[in-house]
Amino acid sequence: MSDHRDGLTLDEVRARIAAAGIEIAEARLELVQKLVNMALEPIRRNNWRGLQDVEPAMRFDARPTQAEPRP
Amino acid sequence: MKAPVLGVDAAFASIRELSARFRTRDVSPVEVTQALLARIERLDPTIRSFVTVTADAALAEARAAETALLRGDQGRPLLGIPVAHKDIIATAGVRTTAGSAVLADWVPETDATVVTRLRQAGAVSLGKLIPHEFAFGIQFPGHRFLPARNPWNLDHMPGGSSSGSGAALAAGLTIGALGTDTGGSIRLPAAFSGIAGLKPTYGRVSRAGILPLAWTLDHAGPMARSVEDCAYLLQALAGHDPADPTSSRASVPDYVAALTPDVRGVRIGVPRAYFLEDLDPDMEAAFADALTVLQELGATIRTVEIPSIEVASAGLLIMLVEAFAYHEPNLRATPERYGDVLREKFLAGALFTGAEYVQAQRLRRRLCAEIDEILMTVDVLATPTARGPATAFTVVLDPTFGFPRYNTLPFNLTGQPALAVPCGFSRSGLPLSLQLAGRAFEEATVLRVGHAYEAATDWHRRRPPL
Repeated sequence: MSDHRDGLTLDEVRARIAAAGIEIAEARLELVQKLVNMALEPIRRNNWRGLQDVEPAMRFDARPTQAEPRP
Repeated sequence: MKAPVLGVDAAFASIRELSARFRTRDVSPVEVTQALLARIERLDPTIRSFVTVTADAALAEARAAETALLRGDQGRPLLGIPVAHKDIIATAGVRTTAGSAVLADWVPETDATVVTRLRQAGAVSLGKLIPHEFAFGIQFPGHRFLPARNPWNLDHMPGGSSSGSGAALAAGLTIGALGTDTGGSIRLPAAFSGIAGLKPTYGRVSRAGILPLAWTLDHAGPMARSVEDCAYLLQALAGHDPADPTSSRASVPDYVAALTPDVRGVRIGVPRAYFLEDLDPDMEAAFADALTVLQELGATIRTVEIPSIEVASAGLLIMLVEAFAYHEPNLRATPERYGDVLREKFLAGALFTGAEYVQAQRLRRRLCAEIDEILMTVDVLATPTARGPATAFTVVLDPTFGFPRYNTLPFNLTGQPALAVPCGFSRSGLPLSLQLAGRAFEEATVLRVGHAYEAATDWHRRRPPL
């Protein structure tokens, strides 16, 4: 899941293109970036920790609490 | 003496009218088919709605219908009615191009189930209608195929992706048409072309034999010049098909019998957020007028809230990923055969992670639950089908033209039935449209409200200046 609050940068899009093993012309990269960021927007914006799942699933928070002793 | 039917009369006749006149032998299916073929020959070089016209086969089917009528066949209202099919729907022995150079010469061996069902109902197939390439990308200059034009203004697109279906109906080149709808591809060309189009419930109409765009969002359905004609077509199309694993076994009601002009007591919800944002002023006024008409007919109107409606654009992610999954082998092997710009849009589907796709589906579930709950308190949701009239080619043929927020997409995510009905015109003379959505498998309610609206208005009877 993406943690990019302002969407993927062009370099991040290039990295995903390389990982997918595809080729996209440099002249079309901005178009693709715009499309991908639009599609990702609801996922980026959503508060996943607060999501009331429709499907049954236990949720937990792996971040250390203040009470936890530091190593 | 026979009333004149050839030419414009036949071109814009309703299914009910033609069916009745066939049975009184006032006019024959062959005469109507000939009139439409002549009209296609005269007008379609300009409109560009057909990619393949099957004139000889159409006349043979019309003659067979005529013979059946002479033998007293009374039970099939579509007998002898000319129709045409979006060209991503397989037709045995007739090339099925998907509007793409990739499949420009592909001739399927079998019909899609929807084609079979219309054939069994006695409909006459005039041919295949140009879609956006693979139901997603408009054809850019230099493409093997040219995009259809909007009969109301040739410099504008007729909407897509069932673009040929919308344009042919608006131009009076066919009586009915098949479309498919993954994010609005029946309803948007219906809206921009000034006709009616129904996206039925997911599972209501078989998709066997139809080239997919995105499996979990794709629907097939009828397009016509009136809601009543859509009901006639749906009657023939609906029902379980063992060849489509997503096909429903839910019983099929009598859609035509359910059409009454009475909507007294029907509860209509208007979701304002998302659907009424950034509207063209003409669309805003037309939508308000449409609600007034429905209220005067006895429906009750109230505002409803869909808290998660903004997640609807997750549908774009689902669409892109599923489209890439389908096209991946061909995109990797021969990307150059795909149309310019479409290729990059399809390839973009490879750029999401598995987790992102799952999260998009989780958001979809939440949206489905919310809209289901709202539809327990109202019978129908009403929204503008699009945020304004048809877009000019100069705008959509810019490679940087984005993917707008569509009012149609939420109901592809939920799978609920949604109907587009003409509800006015912009000051520039382009059609505007009302969208009515209802509970799953309650097409009859949606059609009834749309029919009542059409009975009280004349927007659907207006014709483009051809």
